[in-house]
Amino acid sequence: MRYGAVRAGRWLGGGVSAALVALSALAPGGVAPARAHPQADGFHQTDPFPHEKHQGLFPLCTGCHAGIPGGEARTLYPEQDLCTRCHDGVDEERVEWSGPTTRPTNLRFEHPMHASKLREVGDSAIACESCHGNPDGPRMAVGDTVRLPECWSCHAHPASDHLTDADCTTCHDPLARTRLPLSAIKALPVPPDHDSTGFLLEVHGASASRETARCETCHTRERCAACHVDADRPEITAIAAAPADLRLPEAVAHYERPASHVDEGWQSEHGTHASRDACATCHATEDCAACHIDTNDAIASLPSRAQVVAPGVHIEAHDPESHRSRFFMASHATLAAADDGSCATCHTQTYCTECHDGPSNGGFHPLDFATRHGAEAYGREEECSTCHNAAAFCRSCHVESGLGSEGRLGAGYHDAEPLWLIRHGQAARQSLESCASCHKQRECVQCHGVLGAFKISPHTRDFDARAAWKKNPTICLACHVGNPIGGSRQ
Amino acid sequence: MTARPGGYERPGAYGRLRRYVSVLAVLAFWLAAGVRGARAQGVRGWVGTTVQMVELRPIAVDTIARDRVARGTDGRLRYNGGVVTCVSDDVCLGYRLRGEEATMAATQDVGFTAWGFGVGGLSFTALLRARTRLGSDLAWPRTDDRFDAMLAYGQWNRGRVRVRVGRQEIRSGLGFPAFDGGSAALTVAGFRVEGYGGRSLARGLRDPANEALRGLEDFVVDRSVYLFGGSARFRAGATGVTARYQREIYSDRSGLVAERGSIDLASVLPRTRVSGSLDYDFGLGRVGKGHLTLAVPLLDGKLLVEASARRYLPYFQLSTIWGFFEPVAYTEGELRAAWSPSSAVGLWLSGGWRHYGDAGTAVVLEPLENTGRRVSAGARWLPDPAWGVDGSYRLEWGPGGFLSSGDAAVRWMPSEDLTLSARAMSFQQIEQFRLGDGRAYGGGVSADARLTDRIRFSGGLTVIRQTASGGAVDSPWNQTRGWSALRIEVGQDPGLANRRSR
Repeated sequence: MRYGAVRAGRWLGGGVSAALVALSALAPGGVAPARAHPQADGFHQTDPFPHEKHQGLFPLCTGCHAGIPGGEARTLYPEQDLCTRCHDGVDEERVEWSGPTTRPTNLRFEHPMHASKLREVGDSAIACESCHGNPDGPRMAVGDTVRLPECWSCHAHPASDHLTDADCTTCHDPLARTRLPLSAIKALPVPPDHDSTGFLLEVHGASASRETARCETCHTRERCAACHVDADRPEITAIAAAPADLRLPEAVAHYERPASHVDEGWQSEHGTHASRDACATCHATEDCAACHIDTNDAIASLPSRAQVVAPGVHIEAHDPESHRSRFFMASHATLAAADDGSCATCHTQTYCTECHDGPSNGGFHPLDFATRHGAEAYGREEECSTCHNAAAFCRSCHVESGLGSEGRLGAGYHDAEPLWLIRHGQAARQSLESCASCHKQRECVQCHGVLGAFKISPHTRDFDARAAWKKNPTICLACHVGNPIGGSRQ
Repeated sequence: MTARPGGYERPGAYGRLRRYVSVLAVLAFWLAAGVRGARAQGVRGWVGTTVQMVELRPIAVDTIARDRVARGTDGRLRYNGGVVTCVSDDVCLGYRLRGEEATMAATQDVGFTAWGFGVGGLSFTALLRARTRLGSDLAWPRTDDRFDAMLAYGQWNRGRVRVRVGRQEIRSGLGFPAFDGGSAALTVAGFRVEGYGGRSLARGLRDPANEALRGLEDFVVDRSVYLFGGSARFRAGATGVTARYQREIYSDRSGLVAERGSIDLASVLPRTRVSGSLDYDFGLGRVGKGHLTLAVPLLDGKLLVEASARRYLPYFQLSTIWGFFEPVAYTEGELRAAWSPSSAVGLWLSGGWRHYGDAGTAVVLEPLENTGRRVSAGARWLPDPAWGVDGSYRLEWGPGGFLSSGDAAVRWMPSEDLTLSARAMSFQQIEQFRLGDGRAYGGGVSADARLTDRIRFSGGLTVIRQTASGGAVDSPWNQTRGWSALRIEVGQDPGLANRRSR
């Protein structure tokens, strides 16, 4: 599983408080300037008019900026004629003045509305310098920034830090409704909580659900879609998408591994927690298919990678912890029997059958196992009949190799043991499967059957003949003539 | 077709049914693969061709003139060191090695799973196999059975319910019973119950026992056998427990073929993994196999120690006489440890001691061995990603046999797509109940190449020098073994790019 940075999509800005920068870019008028001058890229412009030099000439700001109180865009700035009254080329040097270009901003500020509000509460008209001036400087020391404390004197800010826990919408438009240039978007400040531990996994999702508008101040929907595989979730679609002509920085998708995913047992338990809500932030259905051979409702609910922008976390097929044990081969039978649903997650029955009933190609047994399997077959560390039919597989091969018995009493194969015929009982009871891999049942009946040569009972004293007859009378008749216990089957 | 020793007689009516199933499976494959209009959303599968060859020198009973036989120091009659049995004043019988014969088997597999037929959760899985024998008249096991639908089932798996219909297997503590029928499982939270039933197929085969074993086995009742079973699984966290009951009866209900139950447990506890199993034969009223294993990872997982207590009792169906001969179980204690001090080095060691129960048979001369031991050890060294060295040794002795074997292998992986291996081996094997000491040593090479993303080829050749002494049929010879396998992945699995073959 690969977590980390993945380049994709577009990125929109950094912090909630575009305000500081935006305010610094505020044109003296500040009435929806972005829409009025969409071509402008004057964010870094400074005020070209030397206000301080003219402080003795203009007693009122509205002398030049008559349109500010009423919001009249045409008279936000003075005309050239006003300058040429003094700068006529005779008394004063002639100047060219066309007023500053209104700069794009995301600030939502309307002078007329504020003036009206102030009047409603009985306050005086706006004192321009209270926001635009420098209290420690000359009267017309108009700077590039407004003084935020003046805003906060009415718009109570919940925290001392402008970028923290603020209702951004009071002062700012959503980024999607601005014309901020790429450079301005890149320069948007990053709130401190965005860099805090756990922000990505634990904070931002809940915050986004709770404070969509706050996110929208600096982000558009595309930023979410750069990481979220499930970018169609309501919390994300509620965020405004960027207009086509808004250039956004390239985004880098970043995924962190949740703490739950590193817990021991996560691999076996994750299915119980799986759902679209829980998984689709990072995972597409293809990630499930890396291991899961089948679908369930949770898997089917995930989007396909082809349908989404975000790269998601790519999962590659990998062995679970249990499979990495050196002794897994010996233990897997019990694991499968105890919970075969776990096996079925990744394996179809064909996978098991390929090995358990497949052509030998060096898989389970060593290549030369057939030559040396005798001792191990006696030892029965594995149950041969799990995969092999004793009659069709073991005996047929033994017969071909000359090891198969023909039931004769002549040349004895078990020649290492004198008197094998009368001593074989213990060996037979200890390793009856080995006997059955060469001998057919009828050979044993030759001596052990009631019509056999020696009529030696193969049963112990504890043998429950009545129960055996009740379970399967047919096989009793292989050795016995009629009901060996007398009476009926019942 | 006439049954031959070790051969396989073609089934009758059931064979026709099997062919129908196979044809349906093939049709489903092509339907899934491309028939317009009914096309499956996805097909994942593979085609595999395997060819195996081995040289054998079968043994055969031969007659020996009495005057060529001499009595050995142990008082037994021998010819060329081997014990013979004289059946008359003129003729004795003894074993001899026949000439070398090479037998080959070719297997063609087609396996696939198709899904997305317009019904959510519906899939079809099949594994079809064709076999043929090449080379000498020696029969490779089961090559007389030319074609099998190993698996062929449709599955509907949606949420809590899974239903399968067709030829399928149940993986359980009772082995791998296969049957033609249906199964249904319901999962609610950590509980799952499953029921299944159908026509039973012979163990390890894909035909009913009454047809598959005709001519191969005695006392086969010519009746179908029905299999029924059910299981209940409980899973809580990393613990899973499954209890199972299974019963096989003749179609006319004239008798039981099998009636068993099992319980299996696997659990991951803090610092310990526990697994255990136990099965019980209701038919014969006795406990069968069982084990309890504790695995403890130590040293941050670099050392794994496992301890097992086992009981093994072979299982035989009630349709054979073997179970009524009352085999005895052995109990075994085993310790295993694997140590990986680094990713480049791995060592493992295991040892077990087992003891067989009282056979209850008369003791003539002296009792036979009733304890056994096994010890094995191995090491792996990966000096760099391209090279790997493996070595292992195994010692096993107990009732029936003795084996001392060692293997060493060097693997070179010049790229992710190619692995070349060279291997050497040597072993000594003594069968307790047969005179002689067999020794073998040899080596081989193998290659595994991924030709494309979807095509893989592997093959190997081994030559083993076989010798025998001490009264065994003795004639040194070189045994050659070879195999090759070609596997082609097919289909459009959305996760195929991230998936290894499974």
